[in-house]
Amino acid sequence: MRRPAFGETGIYWMLVMPALLMLIGFYLFPLVRVLWVSVMEPTPGLGNYALLFTNSSIHRVLLTTLRICLLTTAITLLLGYVVAYVMAQASERTQRWMMLGILLPLWISVLVRAFAWVTLLRRQGIINNSLMGMGVIDDPLPLIWNELGITIGMVHYMLPFAVLPLLTGMRGIDRRCLAAARGLGASRMQSFMRVFLPLSLPGVVGASILVFIFSLGFLVTPAILGGGRTLMIAEYISVQILDVVQWGVGTMLATTLIVFIFALLGLLARVVDMRRLFGAT
Amino acid sequence: MDGAPTASRPVRGLAWAIICFLLLPIAVVFPVSLTDKRYLSLPEDNLSLQHFANLFSSPEWLSSIGQSFVIACAATVLTVIVGTLCAIGCWRIGSKLADFVRVLMLVPIIVPTIVYALGIYRLWVDLRLLDSYLGLIIAHSVTGIPYVVIIVSTALAHFDARLEQAARNLGANLRQRLWLVILPGILPAVVSSAIFAFIHSWDELVLALFLASRAVFTLPRRIWDGINEQLDPTMAAVAVLLIVVTMVLLGAEMWLRSRRTA
Amino acid sequence: MDRIQSFAEDQAEILADEYRAGRVSRRQMLAGLGALGLAAVAPGAARAQARPEVVVVNFGGEAVPAFREAFQQPFVAGGGRMVIDGSGPSNGKIKTMVQARNVTWDIADSGVAGTGELGPLGLLEEIDYSIVDRAKVDPAFTYKFGVANYMFSTVMAWDTRKVTGKPTLADFFDIQKFPGRRMLRRSNQGMLELALLADGVPADQLYPLDMERAFKKLATIKQHLLFWNSGAESQSLLRDGEVVMGLLWNTRANLLKRDGGGRMDYTYNQGLLQPGLWVVPKGNPAGKEAFRAIASMQAPEGQVKLLASMGNGPANPQAASLVPAELKAVNPSDPANVAVQAKISAEWYEKNGAAALQRFLDFISA
Repeated sequence: MRRPAFGETGIYWMLVMPALLMLIGFYLFPLVRVLWVSVMEPTPGLGNYALLFTNSSIHRVLLTTLRICLLTTAITLLLGYVVAYVMAQASERTQRWMMLGILLPLWISVLVRAFAWVTLLRRQGIINNSLMGMGVIDDPLPLIWNELGITIGMVHYMLPFAVLPLLTGMRGIDRRCLAAARGLGASRMQSFMRVFLPLSLPGVVGASILVFIFSLGFLVTPAILGGGRTLMIAEYISVQILDVVQWGVGTMLATTLIVFIFALLGLLARVVDMRRLFGAT
Repeated sequence: MDGAPTASRPVRGLAWAIICFLLLPIAVVFPVSLTDKRYLSLPEDNLSLQHFANLFSSPEWLSSIGQSFVIACAATVLTVIVGTLCAIGCWRIGSKLADFVRVLMLVPIIVPTIVYALGIYRLWVDLRLLDSYLGLIIAHSVTGIPYVVIIVSTALAHFDARLEQAARNLGANLRQRLWLVILPGILPAVVSSAIFAFIHSWDELVLALFLASRAVFTLPRRIWDGINEQLDPTMAAVAVLLIVVTMVLLGAEMWLRSRRTA
Repeated sequence: MDRIQSFAEDQAEILADEYRAGRVSRRQMLAGLGALGLAAVAPGAARAQARPEVVVVNFGGEAVPAFREAFQQPFVAGGGRMVIDGSGPSNGKIKTMVQARNVTWDIADSGVAGTGELGPLGLLEEIDYSIVDRAKVDPAFTYKFGVANYMFSTVMAWDTRKVTGKPTLADFFDIQKFPGRRMLRRSNQGMLELALLADGVPADQLYPLDMERAFKKLATIKQHLLFWNSGAESQSLLRDGEVVMGLLWNTRANLLKRDGGGRMDYTYNQGLLQPGLWVVPKGNPAGKEAFRAIASMQAPEGQVKLLASMGNGPANPQAASLVPAELKAVNPSDPANVAVQAKISAEWYEKNGAAALQRFLDFISA
C-alpha cells in the first residue's frame, strides 16, 4: 500500500480545498474589504456599532426580523416535517408525485409569487371571494398587508428548503428500527416519538438553520405582502446602501448578522451535537 | 412492504394539503398568463395568448432565458462539485477545524447579497469580469455553496462511515471510494442540492443587477426591467412554460421507468 | 437588438470595447439617420467617430425606447453618439462605480434624492452651465450637481365609486367623510409635503418642512394606510379596490383615469412638482461630451415626445407652446398645473433627505 504522503487527513483536506479557496478568494476577501467600511465611514471608529445600542429604529427592525423569522422557521419546519415524514414512508410512485409538487413552485420567481399571493389573499381576492360566495364569512378576512401575509409568503418560499434536507435525513433512518419497535408492541405514536423523531433530529436541526438564516435575507416578499408596513433587516441594509448611501451603517449591520449567527451556532453546539448534524460520526 | 409502519391517514391527508398550499400560486399563475390585460392580473373579458406570443417572438426574453440557463447550469455544476467534495472532506476529517470550515461555508447565506455585491464588484473591476458570463457564474457559484454543503452533510450524517473504511481496507483508492461507495449512497442529496443551486442562480437578481450591465441580461433582470412601469404578464408566461416543460420531462421519465419495470 | 449584438461582440474581446461600442453606435446612428430621412448626411459619421460615446442610464423598461426616440435620435442626427442603458442608476451603484474608478455611465436619470446624497460626497460632476443652457430650464430646478430633465408630480387620486365630488387633500385625512383605506408611497418624498399642505401650510412656505407637524398629521390616519413600493403597485392597489384614495405619481394617476372608464380621477391641486434630474457621475468616460448631450436633450421637441410616450412633463418652459392641446391637462409642467402645485426644494433634501427617509420608514414600520 502507498504510504500516505501527508497522512489520511491530508487527502481529505484536498477535497475541501477547492471550495475553501473559492470561498476565501471570491467571497471572504471581497467581503472583508467591504465590511471594513463599517469602521471607516463616515469617520474611523466604532460609531456605527454604537448605533446598535442607541438607535431605536434599528432595534425595532431587528426585533421584527427576529420575530418573523422565528415564526416562519417554526411553521415551515412543522409543515415540512409532516410532508417529509409522509414522503419517507410512501411508495416510490407517491414520493415522485409529492416531489413534483414541492419542486414545481421553485420555477416561479419571487416577484411573481408575491403578486400571485396578492391576487389570492387580498380583500376581493380569490380566497376571500370564494369564502364569501360559499357563505362561510360575511366580511373579507385580513389575510394580507400584515404579518400573516408575510408569513404565508415566506413559509411558502421556504418549505422546499426544509423538506429536502428533512427527507434526506429521514431516508437514512433504518426502517427496520421502526418495524422492530412496532413488533415489540409499541403503538404508532410511541414508535414515532421514541424511535423516528430522535433519529430524524439531525435533519431537523440542519433544516432549521438553513430556513432561519435564509429567512433573514427576505426583502421583496415582506415589502409587498406586508403592505409596506413591515421593514426587515435585509431591506433596511439595502436602503442604507442603495438609497441613503450610508454604507457604514449597512455594513455594520451585515457584520452584526454574521457575528449573531456564529454566536447562535456556537450556542447551539453546546446543546446539540453539531458533529452529528454536520456529518461527523 | 417490509413491515415498517406507514403514516396514518390523517397525517397523509395533511401532507397532501400542504402540497396543495405549495401549488396554490401555480393555480393563479396559469390564468394570469392568459390575461387579456397588459399588466399582471386575472383575465377579465377574454383569454389571450398574447403574452406567450410575446415571449416566443421577443429576442430579448428568449435571449435572457438562454443566458440564465447557461449561467445557472455552469454555476450548478461548479457548486455541486466543490460543495460535495468539501462536505465529504469535512465529514471524514471530523476535527474541530473541519467543523469550523463547514460553518464558514454558511457565510454566503448569512450576509445580505447587496453587501457582497459591493465587494465582488470591486474585485471584478480588477479582474475585468464585470458584465461577463464568467463573473456571474463564479458569483452565483460561491453563493450557492451553502445549500450543497448543508444538504450533502445532512445525508452524510446518516451514511455509514464504516462502508468507506471497509472499501479502503480492500484497497480502493480515493477516487474509487468517492465514485463507487460514497457518491451512490448520497446521490439523492446531491441531486436535491443541485436543484437548489440551480434555482439560486436562476432566480438571483441583486448580483445580476450589480455585476452585469448591457452584455449580460439574465431572466430575473428581464422580469425586473421596467417593473416600475408595468408588471408584465410575460413573466407569468415564462413560469407556465417552465412548469409545463418540467412536467413533460418528469412525465416522460416516469413513463419510461414504468415501461422498463413492466 | 443591440444588446444581443453587443453581447456577441463582447464575448470576442473586452479590449475591443471602445471599437465595439463605436460600431454599434455607428449602426444605430445610420439607422437613426435613415429613419429621419437624413441618410444623405452620413459622411458626418466619420466626424462622429471622433466624438466620445455618451452612455445615458435610466431605470429600464419602456423608458429605454422612449428615451431613444426622444433624446438619442436627435443627438445622433446632430453628429453625436449615444446609447441608452436601462440598468438602473441607484445612488449605491453610482457610488460603487465612482469609488472603484470604473465609471461606465455618463448621464444618469436621478432626482433630488440623488443630488442630495451623492453631491455632497463628491461623487458627481458639477453641471457645466457654459454648455448646458440655464435659460431652457425653470430656474427653480437648476442645481450645482443636477439639472432638470423632465418634471413629474405627486398627486392625489381617488376611486369615484367611494369618493364623490371633488375631494381635497384635507379629505384624504378625513376617514369619517370618506371611509376606506388610503395609500402613500413608501418613501418620504412628496408624502410629508402633501401632509403639510393638507394641514394648511401654504405652498410657498412649505420649506423647511416641519417634520413634527407632518408626522403628527400622518399619525392621525396611520392605521388606515397602505404603502406602495413601485409605480405599478400604486396603480393596482387603487384599481383592485384595496384603497379608496392614494398619493402617487401623476403618470400612474393618469393611466388609472384613462383606462378606468370614469372609475378613477385625480387632481394636480395641492400636488408637489418634482424634477427628474440629469446627474453626471464623477470621472465619467465621455467627459464634457456629456454636457453637450444634456444640452441637446434640452430641445423642447424631444421633451414633448417624452410627455406623449411616458407622461413626463417637459423641463424646458419653451416646450409649453409645442404641447398638443389634448396633452395639456395631463402635463405636470403645464403652466396651469404648475400654478396649483407646490415645488420641491432640493436644498432641503440635500440637508435632510436621508434623515427624513429614515424617520419615515421608522414611522410606518412602528
